[in-house]
Amino acid sequence: MLARAALAFAALLATVASAGAQPAGEITVMAYAGIFEDKYKAAVIVPFTQQFPQVKVNYFTAGNSAQMLGTLRAQRSSPQIDVAILDVSVSNVGNKEGVFSRLDPAKVPSLKELHALAAVPGGFGPAVTFDHWVLVYDVEKVKPAPAGLADLWDPRFKGQLGLSAMPNIQGIVATVLASKIVGEDYKVSIDGAMKRLKDLGPSVQTFDPQPDGYTLILGNTLTVASGWNARAQLYHDDSKGRLGVVFPKEGSVFQINTINLVAGSKNPEAATAFIEHALGRDAQKRFTESMFYAPTNAKAEVAPAAIARTAASPDNMARMIPLDWDWVTTIRDAWNNRWRREVIAGR
Amino acid sequence: MAGDREGRRGLAAALSLPAVATVSLGFLLPVVWLARMSLNPSDASGALGEGWTLHHYKELVTDSFYADLALASLKMSVTATFFALMVGYPIALFLHRLESRWKTLLVLLAICPLLVSGVVRAYGWIVILGDAGWINSMLKGAGLIDRPIRLVNNHVGVAIGLTESLLPYMTLSLLAGLGRLDRGLEEAARTLGASPLRTFLRITLPLSLPAVVLGSTICFMLAISAFVTPRLLGGGRVFLLATEIYDQALLTLNWPLAATIAVAILVLFSLVLVASGRLQRRVAQ
Repeated sequence: MLARAALAFAALLATVASAGAQPAGEITVMAYAGIFEDKYKAAVIVPFTQQFPQVKVNYFTAGNSAQMLGTLRAQRSSPQIDVAILDVSVSNVGNKEGVFSRLDPAKVPSLKELHALAAVPGGFGPAVTFDHWVLVYDVEKVKPAPAGLADLWDPRFKGQLGLSAMPNIQGIVATVLASKIVGEDYKVSIDGAMKRLKDLGPSVQTFDPQPDGYTLILGNTLTVASGWNARAQLYHDDSKGRLGVVFPKEGSVFQINTINLVAGSKNPEAATAFIEHALGRDAQKRFTESMFYAPTNAKAEVAPAAIARTAASPDNMARMIPLDWDWVTTIRDAWNNRWRREVIAGR
Repeated sequence: MAGDREGRRGLAAALSLPAVATVSLGFLLPVVWLARMSLNPSDASGALGEGWTLHHYKELVTDSFYADLALASLKMSVTATFFALMVGYPIALFLHRLESRWKTLLVLLAICPLLVSGVVRAYGWIVILGDAGWINSMLKGAGLIDRPIRLVNNHVGVAIGLTESLLPYMTLSLLAGLGRLDRGLEEAARTLGASPLRTFLRITLPLSLPAVVLGSTICFMLAISAFVTPRLLGGGRVFLLATEIYDQALLTLNWPLAATIAVAILVLFSLVLVASGRLQRRVAQ
């Protein structure tokens, strides 16, 4: 009896102690707008505030990743944002500039469960979503469907293609895939890829689909376009299957979003707790099932139907082409200039 | 007497202080900050460094790509301004001469595109000019073409969109300038036997030239700094100084280079303003 009472008391003490360490207050999370915001709030933020009712989470949007970094740069002296989710090529810049803090592995135990590709050097914020480059097409007009990038040279697509060019990062992936088609190593030379893409130029209706390729296909302006898987899958469902999504036969490249702790955050406790929550198995599972970003937590048990529509399915995973986004920043200007002069201007 | 003048000068200085402060804070300070940013070093990834460098100015001068950009921007702005003038002049002249109770309504109609966001108007042009748009459908229906002609996602689309976006500004500037045109002079020319064409060429046009210079200057400035229309209607094929600033600032993250190009545009602006001022004085004489 005494032993049981002691145990109960110990348990009570433990509860009180952990309640004392409970994060509280307010944090602001900055990430993408639109459908990402809706899905992320429902799948990740609402469950977090249910778990930690003492924390109020604000969701802030500032356009694309570079605009987000711009916002953080402008707030350097007094950050108003605690957590930022943005593209890895941009968050790498933030890490170099000291905009983001390193994470404490003791407070973010889920770091140990992450996929090897999710790690960011230096202990900075890791990957929180994996997306990948896909082709989207009009199922009603395009028969048979294109199997990969190599099929786009087919004259039947002339004038109906939307291919996002550099400096959009979709253009970087297109370069890597074109290099694979002509059998060259993009790290050594992209001469072959540029030559092939230059031939494709006249077939391309737009190198900068506005507002995006999915909308232009559903609006009958294009029939095939490049895109990102997660959004493409959502448009596929919304259009009742009219927008088809193709994992290219050449393979694909990951677009990685990282989750970062802003240096100088006024509430690092709650911010770190949020990052742990976002990287945890449950949040990863819920977000993948609602938006088809592949989970970065290798232990997340995602429904097979959802996994099959992401890059995390074993079939797709084997065909992913590794690309070091940190290395990409060193050649980005050079590639961008070649796209403009050779592919787009056709010189 | 001298003290009185000094006192008045002091009062004038004090009275102009709020305006000077507003201009300094709202306009001069950002420009100084922009100039300072253009001197910041940046590495290949776009990460900002500490210190000073003239690297980006060197790049601007030595890389022929930027000379091409400046030339393309000049060409596009002159083209759009020219067509806005060609379309806007008759409209303005008609509205100026109109003596009807509908006049105010018609003037409002001419400038009402300004009430609609530039983004919405650009999307409107995509619908009209696209491969499946009204123009191509009509031409196809009339059997004049078998394949759609490309009117958007290239320079043609940007020129059309820009011209339309400049038109209200051109019409307004011309209307304001034509207000000074004395109807009696035209009537005198006609009474003395000049043909309508001759009256226009010898009387109306020369007298409206100051308005033409003013309208063209405003439109040229707006055109060279426009980036929404070129971005939405250019299809990634139209590279101008303004779109390059957007790309460098918001896609490649190279803020110093973006700032350098912005400073270059400012210099270009000042040159155009000086030239336009001189021209205006000349045509006014």
